[in-house]
Amino acid sequence: MTEMTQQAAVRTRPTLGKRFRLWLADLRHHPGQVIWLAIALALAVSFAFPLYFMISSSFKAESEVLAIPVHWTPQDFQGLLNYQRALETVPLARYFMNSFLMAGIDVVVTVIFSAMAGYGFAKFDFPLKRLFFVFVLSTIMVPFQILLVPLFIEIHSLGWDDSYAGLIIPGIMNAFGVFMMRQFAYAIPDELMDAARMDGASEPRIFAQIVFPLLSSASASLAVIIFLFSWNNFLWPLIVIKSQEIMTVPVGITVFTQPHSAQPQWAVAMAVSTLATLPVMLLFVFFQRYFIEGFVLSGLKG
Amino acid sequence: MQRRQIWGLFFVLPTVIFFAIFFLYPIVSGLLFSLTDFTLLRPPEWVGLQNYADLLKDRLFLKSISVTLGFVLGTTVPVWILSLLAAKVFYQRFAGREILKVLFFAPVLPSLVVVAIVWRILMNPSGVMTTLLRPFTGLGEIDFFNNPTLSPISMILINDWTTIPFYMLIWLAGLTGIPLELRDAALVDGANRWQSFLRIELPLLRPTAVFVAAISTINAFQAFTLQYAISPGRGGPIDVNTTMGLLIWKYGFQFYRMGDASTVSVVLFALILIVTILQLGLSRGEQYSLE
Repeated sequence: MTEMTQQAAVRTRPTLGKRFRLWLADLRHHPGQVIWLAIALALAVSFAFPLYFMISSSFKAESEVLAIPVHWTPQDFQGLLNYQRALETVPLARYFMNSFLMAGIDVVVTVIFSAMAGYGFAKFDFPLKRLFFVFVLSTIMVPFQILLVPLFIEIHSLGWDDSYAGLIIPGIMNAFGVFMMRQFAYAIPDELMDAARMDGASEPRIFAQIVFPLLSSASASLAVIIFLFSWNNFLWPLIVIKSQEIMTVPVGITVFTQPHSAQPQWAVAMAVSTLATLPVMLLFVFFQRYFIEGFVLSGLKG
Repeated sequence: MQRRQIWGLFFVLPTVIFFAIFFLYPIVSGLLFSLTDFTLLRPPEWVGLQNYADLLKDRLFLKSISVTLGFVLGTTVPVWILSLLAAKVFYQRFAGREILKVLFFAPVLPSLVVVAIVWRILMNPSGVMTTLLRPFTGLGEIDFFNNPTLSPISMILINDWTTIPFYMLIWLAGLTGIPLELRDAALVDGANRWQSFLRIELPLLRPTAVFVAAISTINAFQAFTLQYAISPGRGGPIDVNTTMGLLIWKYGFQFYRMGDASTVSVVLFALILIVTILQLGLSRGEQYSLE
């Protein structure tokens, strides 16, 4: 479906009942699809179930989470009590602020510098261009774990231990973004830039006012993927962070993975997990198209 | 230099300099650290290849290689096949496809720490998984994470759950890129569905297959978070979940043996490089393209 027909479909969205009748009629006219529908339904239910269990358990009483036989739905509905307890157990608001700060900076810096570098590689000639490009590209091939120890020592010698700088700066750029932006920048016709140059526009202005707006769809895809990647990033924050004040969500909530206390709080852990996943779920629901494009182009999965 | 050249450099240099500082420098210094006896507490002392020689006698290191290879095997081949099959399902046209695809895709979104917490509960000895398996096993309790045989398998299953939907999406993009006429032509010529899949689709999916194979292998070799967060004692029981990734963390950040940790990193890098080159070599052969 093209974008325009999609928009038209949204504008004239029929009522739920009518859509259900259309769906039934479609099934009746093409009975062959029932088998595919059944397989896809089984796949979707089995893959989505753990997340359903996470959300539903966050509303259960503690004794219900591991009850035998299994409580498939909350029977002793707790409302938001587990969420309230979660906020009392760990400084979740602080973790959220830190995670949003890190993801926000990662997104903005990655998008702007990737667009700049991608544009530079696509539309300019300069000495060492090939070498620089191969160098930037090679960073995609090297797994992060290889960098872990030496990068930590580097940050340590810079005095950035346990600080926002140490947490955020090493992960602020992404070579994949450069590669992706370069592909999109190639497609921009040279005449656009040349015309602006004739009119006396400076190169930074041409980039900011002509090139960057044309890369906005690619930027959106890159932005949502970098956000997800950054929000879920675990290994580097685990190593750099020591104090609660700069802890991000995934590191902060590890206390719930291996409960040492005699009284595990599984229902609270489920509330925390639901909250930790909520931002990316919302992002996915609202920006699905960009997400999928970004995923397909990137292969990023932290 | 011309003005245009200077502007070109102006646009790319921030990125190049960044990667020189936070990629090239650590890679090179990591190689050097692996030749030293470094603990962060005292200055590094040159030991040559001693760390490598010691590792060959290190029981935990040797075990971590087999643990890692086992995990790689379990999270690559089955994932490729199952995600391709799932992509074939979601490639069909049927009512309600989009919403089911979104539900199927959901496991890709949560962080691995959240995944760990949720599966700790689902795979609790008397939890949901035990209940679902009871018709087949008849057991009242299954201790998935403390059993040395079941524990690595559980890690693989949990990992596959989060990655299959992701690779499904990549395959689906590949399938969508194949022109319908090609398949229809084969069907008109008397090929059955299976033949058309084998002879037309699969060769055209070769670039997608190379991508999926490479990415999933590199990711699998880096296994860390699930083992760190779920397995008893971070890597147990009896080290059956101590992957090389986890060992790097243990040596470097639990015992502060930076030299040893760097050495494990270099070996892990070499392993990944060898496997990736092997894969690329295997995937060469005849090239198909749509032109």
